[in-house]
Amino acid sequence: MEIKTGEICCFLGTSGSGKSTLLNMMAGLEKPTRGIIKINEKNVEKMNEKQLAKFRQKHIGFVFQSYNLLAALTALENVSMPLTFRGMKKKQREKISAEILDAVGLKKYITHKPNQMSGGQQQRVGIARAFVSKPPIIFADEPTGNLDSKTTKEVMNLMLEIAKENNQTIIIVTHDRSIAEYADKVVYILDGNIEKIEEK
Amino acid sequence: MNNWDLLKMGFHNLWRKKTRTFLTVLGVIIGTCSIVVMMSIGIANDQGTKEWIESMGDLSIIEVYSSGRYGDMDSRNSKKQVKLDDQGIEKLEKIDGVKAVMPIKEMRLKVAAGKMIGNVNVIGIKPEVMEAFDFKVQEGRLLTSTDKETLVFGTEVADRFYDPRSRNRYDRDPNAPKVNLISSKLMLSSDNNYGEKKRNQRNQRDDDYKPPKPHKVKGVGLLAQSGREQDWNAYMNITALEKIIKEDQDARHEKRRRSDNEDQYEQVKVKVIDIQRVEEIQEKIKAMGLDASSLTEWLKSMREQMKKSQMMLGGIGAVSLLVAAIGITNTMIMSIYERTREIGVMKVIGANLVDIKRLFLFEAAMIGFVGGILGITLSYGLSFALNKFGEGSMEGMDMMMGGMSGSAGMSIIPIELALGGVAFATVIGIISGYLPARRAMNLSALEAIKTE
Repeated sequence: MEIKTGEICCFLGTSGSGKSTLLNMMAGLEKPTRGIIKINEKNVEKMNEKQLAKFRQKHIGFVFQSYNLLAALTALENVSMPLTFRGMKKKQREKISAEILDAVGLKKYITHKPNQMSGGQQQRVGIARAFVSKPPIIFADEPTGNLDSKTTKEVMNLMLEIAKENNQTIIIVTHDRSIAEYADKVVYILDGNIEKIEEK
Repeated sequence: MNNWDLLKMGFHNLWRKKTRTFLTVLGVIIGTCSIVVMMSIGIANDQGTKEWIESMGDLSIIEVYSSGRYGDMDSRNSKKQVKLDDQGIEKLEKIDGVKAVMPIKEMRLKVAAGKMIGNVNVIGIKPEVMEAFDFKVQEGRLLTSTDKETLVFGTEVADRFYDPRSRNRYDRDPNAPKVNLISSKLMLSSDNNYGEKKRNQRNQRDDDYKPPKPHKVKGVGLLAQSGREQDWNAYMNITALEKIIKEDQDARHEKRRRSDNEDQYEQVKVKVIDIQRVEEIQEKIKAMGLDASSLTEWLKSMREQMKKSQMMLGGIGAVSLLVAAIGITNTMIMSIYERTREIGVMKVIGANLVDIKRLFLFEAAMIGFVGGILGITLSYGLSFALNKFGEGSMEGMDMMMGGMSGSAGMSIIPIELALGGVAFATVIGIISGYLPARRAMNLSALEAIKTE
């Protein structure tokens, strides 16, 4: 199967169906036992750890179910982490991070630590962090798994909005059928196999 | 990731776990401190011994005797290559690295200054080499080659003059005016009874002993205080002294003992350009078939002995630093366990592997560095306390070290030791942190994120 640039692709399946494993393999966190994964004409499964780290830094943003923010850092610092790893100067990265935090509606929360924010707010920080370095692909593993339906809506709309703006590809893994409504392409996974692909 | 961010992040991580960081640092402080203080005591001992030996004479001087002087049969039997005569002196002068050679004759003479009399050890030297042998005057001048019956005195000589007519001639009166050896008219005699009261003279001489005529001499200089043997001696041109010795021998009707086989000089001092070369030149002199000894030689053997006890003390210190190193490793491993998830997240959102390794190495190095700095600070404090209060109570330590404390006290921390201590602690930190850092770097990002 193929995912095009700018596409919103959703992998839908029950827990244990293998959808998360698929996502991890695409992001280079796990090696496939067979088959190939090509991103931007590069074979992800053949890269070594070092190349993967560079590759992730350049091409991939990650949104986690459990947010995975660094507890010791403020929202602003969390968001600017990917830029820090790229070696960007403090002033510049904090400006960019502040802008994107503003875009996700957390202008007032930039100095807050994760434990001072609600789940929805934390996930918005997570989204800001994933998008801040403007990677072409965003991987989201159950991004709304810990959120209520209202917040889910907000978060999903936010992600799509930013992605559309920059023509970024989003790959979402979820078991929530309502999420599938946002996607351009829905891939149904069952017991490790693709059951069907639905394009809109 | 640039260095500044790495630094900030590292500090931040250490600061987050203040107590644990502090305890780990404390281990390094104690380790560094014990090594540095132990070594400082060793250094002070070494310096003390050096000062002590230096006070006894110049370290760059080799004393040369004719071989077999101490009844060493082996060397007496071996054919002597060089004799201590003018030719021998010339040979010694030609050795590379020798600054000056001074043949010496020595005689105990009576010197009278007015009614005051002193028994003075007069040493005959070549005036030309006085400067090379670091003779310095505080008054007057040194001897020159034209000087014959002139003397230069050590600082202590004047104090040993006494008035033979005074009742308590052996108790020196501290208030008595000091003999001025430069302005006074001096008489020099080899006669032991010269200037003494008649009743003090014991009639032990042969009847035909006629004391040689005393010489009129002049004091031209007073040597600066050196704390060495030269303070107690008077110096004279060796040719003039030889004449006096000859006169004395004639007066005693002693036979001219000197045969062809005998050395002209009993002792020769050789001054070496550089203390470092003393040993080498001493070996060369010995190879010529002469006996040579120097304080440097003695100092070396003493130092070797002390080095052993210093190593032992250093070892005790090293053990505590080793324990500190294990502490650092332990702390870093604990820290990685706690931060596994964090490391995973960092990897997933784009941290380079090297950055993660550097971060952990930096944290470990920082523990070592800060511990080193504080350890040195504490060491200076302890060193100060030891020097101030420990002098008496630690005497046993001196004995154990086989040395002695010098003027600077019993503990010296030179700047090299301080800097070395900090550097060493930092290196220990890096070494201790290396394995944990690798471990952090090689953590599987996926596993790490899954960890709760």
